[in-house]
Amino acid sequence: MIEVIHRAGFRDARACQFFDSFLGTTKEAVARKYGVRGANFVAHKA
Amino acid sequence: MSTVCPITLDREVLKSEVRAIYAKVAEDPRGEFHFHRGPEYAARLLGYDARELAALPAEATASFAGVGNPFLMDPLPAGATVVDIGSGAGMDCLLAARRVGRAGSVVGIDMTDAMLARARAGAAAAGLTCVRFEKADITGLPLPAESVDVVISNGVINLAPDKEAVFAELYRVVKPGGRLQFADIIVGTELSEQVRNNIDLWTG
Repeated sequence: MIEVIHRAGFRDARACQFFDSFLGTTKEAVARKYGVRGANFVAHKA
Repeated sequence: MSTVCPITLDREVLKSEVRAIYAKVAEDPRGEFHFHRGPEYAARLLGYDARELAALPAEATASFAGVGNPFLMDPLPAGATVVDIGSGAGMDCLLAARRVGRAGSVVGIDMTDAMLARARAGAAAAGLTCVRFEKADITGLPLPAESVDVVISNGVINLAPDKEAVFAELYRVVKPGGRLQFADIIVGTELSEQVRNNIDLWTG
């Protein structure tokens, strides 16, 4: 994701906060298996 | 981890499935889905302010299905122009509208008619006039170039098969000095081709 954002022209893209968004859902085990979680991203246009 | 994940599934089928799933979420947010919905989830797992959500119309909050919280990052400036990519039932748009105030504007973009209907009803119930909702694909925004201060989004860009096109379009509409601050899902392992092409996992 970060590299795609940079290729578009944005700068300083980063994931800065993370969330267990699938905790308690029917996909919790799948999410854990593949390391899937929510994240906040920020990037800037110069 | 590779940044290019080729997929062979039919992108129009994927788009149709995404539209169908989120139409169901709009029409029956208490139905059975593989992901959380609603304000209780948003407050408990994502750090939203429960009292602030309680003050919003249920039309906007019940179908919320985001995966993070764009409002935990930099504050939205008063008077800013904000676009929410894949705005769903409009919860984040209403929160953004309260932050930018009457001098600002918020545009919610979604491709699901049922979600747009909920979002417009929620904005009307909240009495927020600086927010509007437009039907569009997120790779073709109905917005002029360099017209947006901040792009927000919550759990939507992962549903787009062509992320290069999404971010190219976002770069087009953001003003110099503007920014993206959005939430989405990340995957911690390299996915097999079989997993990458499983529509149930894309939409679940």
